[in-house]
Amino acid sequence: MAPAASVSRLLGAGVCAGPLRPRLLQSATPGRARPSGRTLASAATPAVREPEGSIDLNDRILNEPLKHSDFFNVKELFSVRSLFDARVHLGHKAGCRHRFMEPYIFGSRLDQDIIDLEQTAAHLRLALNFTAHVAYRKGIILFVGRNRQFSHLIETTARDCGEYAHTRYFKGGLLTNAPLLLGPKVRLPDLIIFLHTLNNVFEPHVAVRDAAKMQIPTVGIVDTNCNPCLITYPVPGNDDSPPSVHLFCRLFQTIINRAKQKRRHMEALYQLQGQEEPGARGLTRPPWEDLGHSWR
Amino acid sequence: MAGSRLQTVGSVFSRTRDLIRAGVLKEKPLWFDIYNAFPPLREPVFRRPRLRYGKAKAAIQDILYPEDRIRAKFYSAYGSGQKAFDLFNPNFKSTCQQFVEKYIELQKLGETDEEKLFVETGKALLAEGVILRRVGEARTQKAGSHVSWESEPSDVKSQTVLENNKPLPEALQGQHMEPSEEQSKALK
Repeated sequence: MAPAASVSRLLGAGVCAGPLRPRLLQSATPGRARPSGRTLASAATPAVREPEGSIDLNDRILNEPLKHSDFFNVKELFSVRSLFDARVHLGHKAGCRHRFMEPYIFGSRLDQDIIDLEQTAAHLRLALNFTAHVAYRKGIILFVGRNRQFSHLIETTARDCGEYAHTRYFKGGLLTNAPLLLGPKVRLPDLIIFLHTLNNVFEPHVAVRDAAKMQIPTVGIVDTNCNPCLITYPVPGNDDSPPSVHLFCRLFQTIINRAKQKRRHMEALYQLQGQEEPGARGLTRPPWEDLGHSWR
Repeated sequence: MAGSRLQTVGSVFSRTRDLIRAGVLKEKPLWFDIYNAFPPLREPVFRRPRLRYGKAKAAIQDILYPEDRIRAKFYSAYGSGQKAFDLFNPNFKSTCQQFVEKYIELQKLGETDEEKLFVETGKALLAEGVILRRVGEARTQKAGSHVSWESEPSDVKSQTVLENNKPLPEALQGQHMEPSEEQSKALK
């Protein structure tokens, strides 16, 4: 998977260099390339500059974090030792084991499955990074968990990050029939985080399948009796012990708040940069931007 | 917004990417670029959970340590430790753990005979002040002709053990025979 990941990162980097081209087109033919450029060319020039600037800023704000492998410094939030102390490695008994969880299990001690924390750490880093990026882009995050012991905790976590939670009975068509149940033009969540993948009768939660149907990526804590197939970023770990669930809630809350704060900082930073030099934007921009100018 | 509800076909990402390429889905979803930049370790494709048939077994190993042999002998001789386990304390050492550590210490000094080591560890712990109540004495008696009448009273006595102050050797050995046998089987 590593070469594929690096290739996709290069592709991503290639996409980021894209904004050069639309700027070239705009400088040559001011009103033509933009979809809103129905006005005359002379009148369009001042109107084109403002949206061009803001879209360029927006692009930069959105694409800048994707270039770094750990923009939100997810690594420093936890360690394998802290996962062990929170009892994340304890799974269920061997009889409850799900077949697809076998790759994530280290071994079984007197019939109790022990989850491999090295793999958990890697998966958790990816999951937290993804959550942070979604929160950075102002995505809607929904926390789902059906274990009554932690229902209140999940709801308070969601409230403290400014996101949403659903820890009660999940009605049939909530995601698949949203316009009917929630009203027309409802924006569905952009990410669903499962603190418990199973519902109260130990069957996979309906939202796992529904999120896959509605093309919503999911992050989920999968215990040894859960099915990790449909979850986009599974995190093998204990979902029954209080210290474990408290740790995961704290991690998600911290990373979402951090991502939102970063977004505010970036917006302020780029706005300041935009305001300081409205006309000649040569100094503060990175060198590859000047190529566009020299072509004029 | 167009979408594909076929959760069993590909991953969420593959379906969205193909819809965008086909031109059906006009707007790129928020998470698309993030997934592109940081894909998961396994693509989330649906798989049908199939049962294992015949002699096929999971490839998960048992976690066993060399100290487990010592622990098995300890529990068969002394029953469950007199000191209750305090799991809130991360540095807690149970009677069994102290026994194991002392055993290993004495083993490193050069002793080889297991029974001698066992007895000496017991003595060393008694010297330190840890009380060990023997349960294994009744085992040698059990091997004789007393099997039939011991099985019945042991079932009754095992329930009344908590009520009585003095531990009844037959009842306790009836309880602890099975786990120690299982452990010794696992070690073999």
